[in-house]
Amino acid sequence: MSSSTLVVSDLVVRYGAVPAVHGISFEVAPGEIVGLIGPNGAGKSSTLNAITGLVGPFSGSVRLGERDLTGRAPEVVARSGIALVPEGRRIFGELTVDENLRLGLAGRRTQRGVAEDLERVLELFPVVAESRARSAGVLSGGQQQQLAIARALVAAPEVLLLDEPSLGLSPAITDTVFDALATIRDSGLAVLLVEQRAQRTVAIADRTLVLANGELRLTLTPDDAGDTERMIHAYLS
Amino acid sequence: MTVLATALSDFLHAAVEPQVQVDAIGIGAIYALMAVGIGLVFGVLRLVNFAYGQLVMAGAFALAYASDQDWPVWLGIVLCFVVVITLTLAMERVVFRPLRGKPAATMLVATFAVAFLLQAVALLIDQTDDTLGEPAASLAKLNVPWTILGTDVRKITVVAIVTAAVCLAGLVLILSRTTVGLHMRAAAMDFETARLLGVRADRVIGSAVLLSGILAATVAVMLTVQQPLVTSTFALRETIVVLAGVVLGGMNRLFSATLGGFAIGYASGLLGGALPTAQSQYLPSILFGLVIVILLVRPGGLFTRGPGPVERV
Amino acid sequence: MLTIVAPITLVAATAVVGTFFERSTEIYFINALIAVAIVVALYVFVGSTGVLSFGHISFVAVGAWTAGVLSVPVAEKPATMPFLFDFLAETTVGNVWSLVLAALAGGVFALLAGLPLMRLSGLTAGIATFAVLEITNNVLRYYEKVGPGLNVFSSVPETTDLQQAAIGAIAAIVVAFAYQVSRFGRQLRAARDDAPAARAVGISVYRQRLGAFTLSGALAGLAGGLYVHYLPISVDAVYLDLTFITLAMLVIGGMTSLWGAVVGALAVSGLDSLLAEAENGAAGIDLPSGSRIVVVGALMAVVLIVRPSGLTGGRELNLGRLLRGSPGRRGAA
Ligand SMILES: Nc1ncnc2c1ncn2[C@@H]1O[C@H](COP(=O)(O)OP(=O)(O)OP(=O)(O)O)[C@@H](O)[C@H]1O
Ligand SMILES: [Mg+2]
Repeated sequence: MSSSTLVVSDLVVRYGAVPAVHGISFEVAPGEIVGLIGPNGAGKSSTLNAITGLVGPFSGSVRLGERDLTGRAPEVVARSGIALVPEGRRIFGELTVDENLRLGLAGRRTQRGVAEDLERVLELFPVVAESRARSAGVLSGGQQQQLAIARALVAAPEVLLLDEPSLGLSPAITDTVFDALATIRDSGLAVLLVEQRAQRTVAIADRTLVLANGELRLTLTPDDAGDTERMIHAYLS
Repeated sequence: MTVLATALSDFLHAAVEPQVQVDAIGIGAIYALMAVGIGLVFGVLRLVNFAYGQLVMAGAFALAYASDQDWPVWLGIVLCFVVVITLTLAMERVVFRPLRGKPAATMLVATFAVAFLLQAVALLIDQTDDTLGEPAASLAKLNVPWTILGTDVRKITVVAIVTAAVCLAGLVLILSRTTVGLHMRAAAMDFETARLLGVRADRVIGSAVLLSGILAATVAVMLTVQQPLVTSTFALRETIVVLAGVVLGGMNRLFSATLGGFAIGYASGLLGGALPTAQSQYLPSILFGLVIVILLVRPGGLFTRGPGPVERV
Repeated sequence: MLTIVAPITLVAATAVVGTFFERSTEIYFINALIAVAIVVALYVFVGSTGVLSFGHISFVAVGAWTAGVLSVPVAEKPATMPFLFDFLAETTVGNVWSLVLAALAGGVFALLAGLPLMRLSGLTAGIATFAVLEITNNVLRYYEKVGPGLNVFSSVPETTDLQQAAIGAIAAIVVAFAYQVSRFGRQLRAARDDAPAARAVGISVYRQRLGAFTLSGALAGLAGGLYVHYLPISVDAVYLDLTFITLAMLVIGGMTSLWGAVVGALAVSGLDSLLAEAENGAAGIDLPSGSRIVVVGALMAVVLIVRPSGLTGGRELNLGRLLRGSPGRRGAA
């Protein structure tokens, strides 16, 4: 499978007259995790929304390899190889786990290799595999989060976007999720990880971008993991 | 007091007659199909299609035309399906699509306008031959009675009940077993997330609209058998009643909307069949009075659990 | 100030222009003025609550029935309405009283209907108001103790001329204006835009809506009275078609302003009259009858799709904006 780099250039997002993101640029290459952290309201979700086409960018561009995806409809972006694990998981609680996974297939570019991909994903998340026939609504938060990631992965994307996947999870489950992310990166996907847990993100990501008030302020590397809080604090205040 | 009690007991006696029951179920079956047609589109678009009855009316005109041309019945039915489905898809393209995402009130009023427009167009067409209404005589032979176990059952009632059962079963299969069915269900629950996963909005909406058109054509055939004189207000009354039934049952679920449609059809069949003539002219008042009472008690829908509708007009 | 002056001026101008025509054309102007009265009544509720009502023509109907039944001379009642209640059969009131009672009946009916209905919202409310229309129509159609049933209202004195229609329309406008600038009207608009916030500051949305519904029902009743004194109408004249056309007027004009209601009513009435003339073969074109609804329906759909806030943008007339928007100023700037 050919892999391409997600390139976001000079992205500006506005809600009416209210600016949320002021011209940020970054790239996420295959086989790397890029972290995106920042305080509440910094514009992290808005950045993801602009990439996935939920909001039209006011200006700037979003490209995946050769393809220009700027301002395309969400389903077009999804079918171009960008999968999202949305904020709050957005699992279809009234459908079964299996049906949720089948919905993930909607984003595939080819129907070949479905069985293999499914098998690989379920291997990564045994909890999901065990509860395929159950209604997704009865799963615990951690299980739902894993289902949401699995649902994104069965689309066989090139880029995986995650919006605060550890929100509300216990430390143990967070470990599971972050371990899975490392495996996913190693399989060659480009991963953009939006998080509130700064330290853990900095530790796992190849680079971590710090966003505040819609602007990129700082880039951290795993070496900074030890004193992330201090650095961010020093820089933002 | 005794007068009321006697009237009630008379009504109940009449209502349990097999004849009345069968007819009421027959009406309920047709209304249930209309409710599904309206509910399918509401599911994906959050749009209440007031003009649904005019789709049925268009199909009835097609049947009348075929009958007038002495076409065989099957060919008339084919024409009916072609006309209704074409019109449904056109309505989606020209009206529903530009209205996507507009407030529910705007959409409701817009389809109200489309309903009147189509009705007026039908009136214009109808008057070109200087008669009011077109007979669809070739279908009338389905309206003859059969006697089953001492009960006179019109053929069409049986056909209606069987057709409705088959259509509903088919629909359940489509929704539960096919990919597009799964996409439609997901879109009805959370359209945005479905799209984020790659579910194509146009395709899902197109499928729902197509299915609703097929149901409208089916209803057109069955209603025309029962009321072979086709006028521009054909199916108008039925639509108003079904809309009330759909809201009554609970718009948010296709299942509850369908049950609502059936229930109001059944109730009106029962009232119509069992009330003495002097009172049956007040059937609409009784029916809509019941609607208001039930909406007050259960504003979220009779057959739903949890909170009321999500939309706000 | 313009908010009230502009609509009144427009209505008065319509009436004055109407006087220059013969009776056969004058009726279009009277029609338009009655339409203004109905649409303004509808606006009082829809504009201030944002809740759609398909039921307002019930109040017009009740007003028409009240005024009609009460003003047919006692001697002529047995001929057209043989089954009336005794007290109705034995009473006749004058023109003004019949209109006042029509407004009263519309208001009381709206209050009674609103007591339960105003608890509902959204689609449920829309369908419930429709149910009121169905019930009203059904009862008036068959209950001959309160009116002519299926027959037309004949022998009602035709007192609604240009002058009375204009006075009626202006009265409706004045009441609507007074209401919208009152404390109640402003609170309700605040609630329309943000119901939870309004509740938080202690506004009872239910009571406010009920008030608006009642007032709007009374104005609709008045309009119904004017209507029955203008034409021998039947129960079908105050049913679905009128519901459609008046909603169309409000939507086309702009649901959220008084100016929009008046402009919509006059514009659509004007268009409708021209088309009616064309249907009768005037002006060299010969439209088949029924084309009017096609045109108005299409226009309404187009407005909803292209400009959902209506011709006026749902705003009151504003001279400042008008001047700023004018080409001269823009050129100078
Ligand atoms: N749909 C919207 N309409 C208007 N403003 C919005 C909308 N969504 C977000 N905003 C505003 O844009 C800014 C950025 O919001 P965004 O959701 O992108 O932040 P975030 O970094 O994801 O925050 P959080 O950590 O809380 O998820 C905020 O000020 C927010 O209020
Ligand atoms: Mg966020």
